[in-house]
This record gives sequence, C-alpha cells and structure tokens, in this order.
Amino acid sequence: MPRPTATLSPLLRADGSASYTCPSTGCLIMGSVNGPIELPGRRDAQKPEEATLDVLVKPGTAQAGVGEKYVEGILKGLLGRLLLGRETGFPRRGIVMTLVVSGGENGGKVRRGESYLPILPALLHTLLLALLSAAIPMSMTYTATAVAVTSTGEIKGDPSVRDAASAVSFHVLAFSSKGHLLLSQSEGSFDLDLWEQVYEHAYATCRGSQPVTADGDISMIEDASGYNLESFVRKTVEDQIHHDYSWMNNDA
Amino acid sequence: MASPSILLPGDDVLLDLRSTTSTPLKVGAGLRLLHESATSTPPSYTVTAIHAGLLSTDNKRNAISVLSFANHRYIATINDLVIAQIHHSSLDYLHCIVTPHTPYALLGQLAFEGATKKTRPVLKPGDLVYARVLSVGVGAGTEVELVCVNPATGKAEPGGLGPLVGGMVFDVSVGFAARLMRASSTSAPGDTDVIILDELGKKLEHKGGFEVAVGRNGKVWIDCSSNKDIAVQATIAIGRCLTETDTCNLDPIEQRKLVSRTLRAARIDP
Amino acid sequence: MSREVPLTTAEHDFIVEALKRNVRLDGRGIDELRPLNISFGDEYGHVKVQLGHTSLIVLMSAEVVKPHSDRPFDGIFTVSLELTNMGSPAWENGRQSDLEQNVTRTLDRVIRHSNALDTETLCIMKGQSCWGIRADVHVTNYDGNLIDCACIGIMTGLQHFRCPDAVVKDGKVSVYSIDERVPIPLNLTHRPLTITFHTFHDGELILMDASRKEELAAEGDMVIALNDAGQVCAVYKTVGRPVGAVDVMRKTSIALQKVQEIKNTIQKALDDDQSKRTRRNVGVEANSANDR
Repeated sequence: MPRPTATLSPLLRADGSASYTCPSTGCLIMGSVNGPIELPGRRDAQKPEEATLDVLVKPGTAQAGVGEKYVEGILKGLLGRLLLGRETGFPRRGIVMTLVVSGGENGGKVRRGESYLPILPALLHTLLLALLSAAIPMSMTYTATAVAVTSTGEIKGDPSVRDAASAVSFHVLAFSSKGHLLLSQSEGSFDLDLWEQVYEHAYATCRGSQPVTADGDISMIEDASGYNLESFVRKTVEDQIHHDYSWMNNDA
Repeated sequence: MASPSILLPGDDVLLDLRSTTSTPLKVGAGLRLLHESATSTPPSYTVTAIHAGLLSTDNKRNAISVLSFANHRYIATINDLVIAQIHHSSLDYLHCIVTPHTPYALLGQLAFEGATKKTRPVLKPGDLVYARVLSVGVGAGTEVELVCVNPATGKAEPGGLGPLVGGMVFDVSVGFAARLMRASSTSAPGDTDVIILDELGKKLEHKGGFEVAVGRNGKVWIDCSSNKDIAVQATIAIGRCLTETDTCNLDPIEQRKLVSRTLRAARIDP
Repeated sequence: MSREVPLTTAEHDFIVEALKRNVRLDGRGIDELRPLNISFGDEYGHVKVQLGHTSLIVLMSAEVVKPHSDRPFDGIFTVSLELTNMGSPAWENGRQSDLEQNVTRTLDRVIRHSNALDTETLCIMKGQSCWGIRADVHVTNYDGNLIDCACIGIMTGLQHFRCPDAVVKDGKVSVYSIDERVPIPLNLTHRPLTITFHTFHDGELILMDASRKEELAAEGDMVIALNDAGQVCAVYKTVGRPVGAVDVMRKTSIALQKVQEIKNTIQKALDDDQSKRTRRNVGVEANSANDR
C-alpha cells in the first residue's frame, strides 16, 4: 500500500501549516491555518459565542467554482463538530483555513462537473495537520479514506483518479479518533449491504482494526503491517514535536 | 521527568492526578477537564488534550499542560507580560496591538506608575509599552485589557512595566518567548535550556551591556544604546542570535557556539 | 484586515538608522539578493521559488480555447495571482488588496505586454481554436518583494512548461496527451525579469530586494525590468521621492548584473531538472521496450 507523506509547519508566516502528498491520486496539497483572527469584512463572522470557520479550497490551475464551494461546505460541516470554537480568545474571531491543490493528474485541477470526492481524504488530512500545527483546540482528531467499488463488485481502497472515474460507486468515510463515523459521502449506485462492506474496509484502513462485528481473519492481516492512517497522523505529529523540542531532550 | 509523552487532541492524560487541599491540580494550556465523578471516592478526573504536543508536568505546583508547536498564535492569558504596540489613542484608552490582526487591546491612559491626567506618558501610534494582561473578558463583547501598573500598590510591578523607548523589537515564535520567560524566572543556572541572553549579556557586559524585555506575545525588545559606537551591530547580532536559536531549536551548547560565532562576524567580540 | 500591521516606531527608526551605515537586518549588502532557490514538481510547469523567506508556487496549464474574435491568429496567455490567507495572515480570502492589483499589473506589463510568450505560435486553427496558457501563482509565504519572486516563477514556468501536441485533421482538432506524443516547449521571444528597489533617506539610498519590514519602512519603490539581452523593458516608480536620472542609470546596470545572475540560476535549475527527467525516461523506455 503506498503511503502518504506529510510535513508539518513548513510555512513561517501562517500560524499553522502542513503539506501533504497523497500517493493514490498523486495530488499535493498545501494547507494553512490562521486563527483566531479578525475577519473585518465579514459581519456574519461575528458570532457572539463561538469562532467562525472559513475554509478556502483553491484549485492549482483554475478559478475556484461551484465544486470548490461544495467541498468547502463538507469540510466546514465536519470541522464544526470537532473544533472547540468557544475556548478563550475564539468567540467573535475567525479561523481561516486555506488549501491549495497542486500536482496530480490534470495538474490538480478537478474538471468542471467532476467530483471532488477522490481528493477529499487528502484535503481532510492536510487540514487536520495544519490545525494541529496552529494549536487550534479540538476535541479529537480524525482520519478519512476513499473506497471505490468496481464494476465486478470488488472493493478497492486508495483508488486513483482513474479508478474513481470507472467505479460503479465511490465512497469517502471519515472516522474520529474515538471511532465515530464523522462523514459518509457516496456517489453512484450501491445497496446497504455493500455500504456495510465499504464501511468495514474504510474503518480498517483508518483505524487499523475492524469494527466490533468484524471478521477475525481480515483484522489479522491489517495488524500484520501495523500501519493505518491514525498511526500515520500520530507518527507525523510525534516526529515534528521531537524535532521542535530537540533542545529539551539534549538537556535532560 | 518520565519519558516525554506526546498527546493528540482527544487523548486522555494517563497520570495519577490528585487534587490535594494544599496544592489543587492546575490544568494548564492545551488540556481540559472533561469529567469529574463526585460519587466515586476518591473523586476521579478525566483530563483530555485539546492541542497536539508534549505533556509537561510540574510536580511542585501540581500543574500539567501541553506544550504545542511553537509557531501558533498568541492568545492573551491573565498575568502574561506582553509587548504591545500603540495603534491609536482615545479619551480614556490607548488601543494597542498585542497579536496582529485581532481586535485591539485596551490600556487605560492612567494605567501607568504615578500617572495623573497631567503626568501621564504621551504615547504616539507605533510606540511600544511593556504591559501585563489584566483581564481577557468573559463571554462575548469584552476586550483584552492591559495595565502597566499594579492596581493594588500603584507601582510598576513587576519591574520594567511602562513605555519602551528606542531600541529595536524582534519577532520570535510564541513558544520561544515562553522559553525565554521560563529561563529568566528560574534562578538556578544550568536549570534552563535557553542561555542565549545570559551568554550575550556576559559577552557584551564590558561594552556597556544591553536592556531586554520579553513579551509572551512573541516579541523581544532590545536596547543597546548604552554602547554608542556599536549599538546597531550589537542589536542586529542579538536579533540574529535570537531568531536562529528559535528557528533551529538550538540546545545550550549550540547556543553558546552561535553567540561567539555571531559576535565574531559582527566584529564586536575579538 | 487587508494590510500588514504598521511597523513600530522602534523598528522603523532602527531600520532607517542602520541603513545610514549600510547595514541591513539580515546582514546583506545594499545591492544583494536574498538566497534564491528554484525547484520543480513532477509535472511540466510546476515551479517552486524561494527568495529568502518569500516563497511561492507557479503552476502552468494549457487548454484548447476559442481565440478572441479581434485577434483570430493569437493564442491567449493569462497570469492569475490571488493572494490568500496562506501567504500572510494580513490577506483576506476572496478580497482583492492593493498589493495584489499592483503586482498583477506590473507582471502583466512586464511579461504579457512585452510579448515574452509568442502568442501567435499558440494558434491551432484560425479563429476557431488556440491554446490558452495559464500561469497560476500561489503565494505560500510572504516576506517582501513579491514582484521579483513572481516574475522569476512565471518566467521559469514558461521555460519549463511543455504544451501537448495538437493536430488539425479534416477541420477537427485532436490533442495528443503527454504519454502519446512528446509535448512541445513554448516559444519565447525574450526573457524579461524584474529587479525591485526601495528608496530611503529622500532617495539617497536605493536598496535591492527589500524584505517585508524594509518595504514597510521605505519611502518609495522603483521596479526595473530587463531582458537577458540587456534591453530595458520597463521602469516603474509609483510612490516616493524622485530619484535622479544618474541613480536610475547606475541601478539599471546593477540590475542587469542581477538579471544575468538570476538567469543563470534559472538555467541551472532547468538543466538539472532536464537531466533528472532524461534519466527517468530512459528507465521508462527500457521497460516499455521490454513490454513490446
């Protein structure tokens, strides 16, 4: 399984930032987070009791359009449940998140009318890492993955853009670090049984073990590699913290 | 300290945390107290992280907090010492910038040592003050308020509060500013991990030394005007030492090397 | 807030005072650029430029479009620069700032209006279809001198980019993907680059490649655009005290040296990337030969 790579805090000016490479779609995403800051031009941004979330998805080689607005809505909805926008210093301010998609097929451009779902997990992971880097308070972390179902009924994890285009149905699922299902976006035709299989596959990819009802054999296979997306997020953060606090380790 | 544990938001702190009558448990930045079941004896807590970072424990004060990434934005906390920039002045207040691109913090026109309507310092936009955060407001609609005086005694306590005249201010990360503050508050030498200011002070002492003020909001003010002929070079050298220690996460040995190297390059210390 | 926080009096006075002694905060000389680093992504026309702490990404793309009706023989070249909150917390998403307008206009004049890219070669079929070449500039970290940094990025992108091959057959345009046919480099007439100066002390001191704080402390600016043949393409001065003609001449000759230096850096980066690609392609071709 090809593994994603990520860098935390590559940018100096932004409060928090992350760059992320998604191996299956080849896209490269740079994300930045600034917050809490004032959003002066936005009257609607002054919510008295919590922070306003502002997400911008910028395609690499085109003007942002309806597709970007749609995916921004998905991201905002998911984060609204995880960010603690009522902590001191956050009410009436904004948390501004910017994602730039570059690289990948078509130069990171999602063509007009095409779906954003294939790169949605990559966007979610970039955003999570940038938020952690900016020390925005969150109740928990999350991981996300895409699953394609081919015409032969095969369930395929980490689909490429081409897999996504030829898939009968396509799903993106996100799980919190406590195992809740946070997001389920699906396209195409499928039935509930198939979705259950997709759910199990996605759960294993994100969290490394099967949900409670799972079949023992599959869970063994996943454990053998010991790798899942959650451990990837944790490893990335740990590496950066060790690097940032290297002065402390030498002292001790 | 035990092996450093790194937390992600949502992780529980797996330490035996007790609140005793003499030293109540202090839950610091990056953590929140989720649940306290009063029925069980002794009462049990669940402390959960809300930032990603290194868990730091202080057994003496019975305090825990999470040290997060250094580059994040400063959020005003009561009793922090900050370097604020005057933006404009109104009848009762000076409106100050503590963190860029956030609403202005308020500093009373008379919140200075010995200030009356006639003797208050006249501050223009762009001037700097060293101030303490008095309140951060509760709920909606309140601003961060600063003071340059201890309201109880009328003195500039802790020392040095008030306008900062001349000099130069350098931007550092919020995490590094906190490190500098911690280094200056611990009395025992060798106990700290940032020795850069001490080291610079030693080397520049015979040239007239320099004045320094550290703001928790990621600003360091330096004034070398006492050593006239090399003031500019010395200030720039100090600024570069600070920035490099910050961005490269240097440990004390590397800091010492950096100081000698920079001063030699600036032709201040032979 | 669409503008940067103003400098404190202390910072302003110190920067100006130090410049009187020809000392800069980062220890550079008056006519010295910050370290320039150019790298490329996997695709053609994906350029990353770092000038000191200012960094940006340029992405080139090509699309078959209909030419403008008044210029049926010309292709279309657009430069799109949108300052987002990523580059600086001072920039608001979705709101145009003065800086953005200023930079876009200067780049337009220097690169587009000087016909650096020969748009006539982009024509596929008269009045029916042509290539629309687009350069997207994404500023990732802003620390002053956006114009020079973006100009370097776009000019490098134009030289690095490869346009897919398009053929007209029986009045129909067919485009071959990069895997099918070797894509074609763009046709450049000349390679202009800008060097930005800032003035201090009533125009007495003229400084090259100012950082963000130096820009804020400066009285005025001056942009000189030169191409690799040494021809001056443009000189702009928007604000600040007048600068004497002698100073402009003197700075132009210094700018010419810098343009040559930058050109060499770009060339070296392009060559390195080319040899990397050739090595990779040899590998790929060996494999595909085996397949056959």
